[in-house]
Amino acid sequence: MSRSLWLTLGATLGVGGAVFLAGRRASAASPTQGSSPGSTADLPPIDLAPLPQVSDVSGDLQKNWGDTPLDLRPLFQLMAEVGKIPGAGRLFAVFAVRESKFVTTAHNGNATGEQDERDSSRAAYRNQKDQNPPLKYGEQAAEFGSGGLFGLLAPYFLWTGVPEVGSKAPLLNAPPQLVFQPRAAAFGALVYMQRLLTRYQIDDHADLKAGWANPSLLKGDRGSAKYHEVRARFLDDAKALGIDLNDTSTIPGKLDASAWPGVPAVFKALVGALPKEIA
Amino acid sequence: MTPDLSYYGDNIKALADLAGDFELRSPMDVMTWYRREWLAIADALGFAQQYAAVPTAIPTTDDRIAAMNAVGLAAFERSLQGGMPGASGEQARVQSAALRQLTASARTTGELWRVTADPTTLPAGACYIEGGRSLRAFYPDTAAGYFGDGWPGPPPRAESACGWTTPLVLHLGTFPWVYSTRLESTGPGMRWPTSGPVLAGMQTAVAMLEPRTNLQQDARQVAAIFRHFITHTAPLVARVPDHQPGRAEAGRLYRRGGLLYVHQGSLHVAGLDGPRGRIAATAYNYIIRRFAGFFAVRRATLRALPSLGAEVQRLARGSADPFLRRQVQEVARAG
Repeated sequence: MSRSLWLTLGATLGVGGAVFLAGRRASAASPTQGSSPGSTADLPPIDLAPLPQVSDVSGDLQKNWGDTPLDLRPLFQLMAEVGKIPGAGRLFAVFAVRESKFVTTAHNGNATGEQDERDSSRAAYRNQKDQNPPLKYGEQAAEFGSGGLFGLLAPYFLWTGVPEVGSKAPLLNAPPQLVFQPRAAAFGALVYMQRLLTRYQIDDHADLKAGWANPSLLKGDRGSAKYHEVRARFLDDAKALGIDLNDTSTIPGKLDASAWPGVPAVFKALVGALPKEIA
Repeated sequence: MTPDLSYYGDNIKALADLAGDFELRSPMDVMTWYRREWLAIADALGFAQQYAAVPTAIPTTDDRIAAMNAVGLAAFERSLQGGMPGASGEQARVQSAALRQLTASARTTGELWRVTADPTTLPAGACYIEGGRSLRAFYPDTAAGYFGDGWPGPPPRAESACGWTTPLVLHLGTFPWVYSTRLESTGPGMRWPTSGPVLAGMQTAVAMLEPRTNLQQDARQVAAIFRHFITHTAPLVARVPDHQPGRAEAGRLYRRGGLLYVHQGSLHVAGLDGPRGRIAATAYNYIIRRFAGFFAVRRATLRALPSLGAEVQRLARGSADPFLRRQVQEVARAG
């Protein structure tokens, strides 16, 4: 994604819009090799609750999940159940295979050839910092690039929830490495999906992926070559993963976020409480 | 008296301990141990939801273990319904028939864990027809791998319609990881075309958790395969750090309790790369647990042998395994 596109994106999303890149292949880097040297070293290791287990969800984990890793299915399903967006879990799996290949610590921005990702996170931070509540680790987020299970761009990830709850957004004091915690990444991704579903015209599942790449593809750029490219890649990803997007017994024809319980409830159910140092 | 498993190898006791010891004569012990073992199997193979839905009461049938295995297998079978891709029914028929013949003959030789056969002696020559072509019903897994140094021969005695030039080798004790050279994150047996052969493979694997079938299996074969597996995986595992609670890094692979563990990440995307290829972390854990389970049941069975009835004792007396025969003699002397 070009820098100019990110600038467009920032303007389109307004404050706190979490942004997700399409088409990249994440490098599976250790969080300790990240792009924010030194300045978060004084923090104790952040360790949220472990990945959800089968017993934590009520929905089916067997049918139409394709090759989604068995131990990540409960997380994807929990996202759908917590956000009250039936069927969303399998779409999150398709997003994750593209963004991270299911590596929870995937990091775009710290390898050769990933300069664009850092440029993007810098631009995102620079363009939004005056309009959004301050990030305690804003400069580190700007230098971070993107990462985690869903390839979230660090500044937007940390601003998750700002449009909904303003300065009470829960990640404002957290370092960008929090995105390597799958429950935190899931929170960012789920809030963003809800926003796409409620604020944009989503005609089908592939539209969600277009909006994931860039919300402008759902507005002025709808129908553009990029729009079709992102959609086609998403459909290919689903097929390769073995998820049938047309199986309406597991994925409704159109996702519905009308029962969304709100950012605080979603945060509590997915993440719980953050360590006091970053809460 | 706790039987000494060191006859099978210095590290076999520690291996059995990994699965935990239990008293075969205690209904509560049996329920706890087998339920935990099935939970691990269900987690690894993705039918934990189905298994959680089954009753947890202590079985009251004469054979509690067979009953618990039946419950586990029923949950596994339910998980296969609707989940299998539409594939060749012909291949499944050939596979099922081959597995029936292989397991029947292996029970008499005591080598059920790894079955080896001339494919041309199996039903349909272990071939099936698809699109006018004759294809092999199983993967020809004869190269050197994690379970052995390869099985290049002898070649089939008859000409194979589908190109078999080597024996058919299946490691049913670690089903669905049945091939020595394909230890990917999903066991290849789970990708067999329909539920029939998948269920048959699973039945064979878990039958070795039942005392009777466990005693029928020559433990020396299992120990030899385990030794080979450990020889080739230990150097890889040694490079993995030990998990230290409170100090683990997200996404990193660790050793924990004799198995592999990924902190805040998926075990299914982790693995070890070695000269014999990549072994997925899920495969490693499952295989270790199968070996451990086998020897844990063997130990519990030997300890309980005096109470297991004449037929089981006769099986033990007639075993090709000299250690097992000696155990029976000691029981008789003590009795």
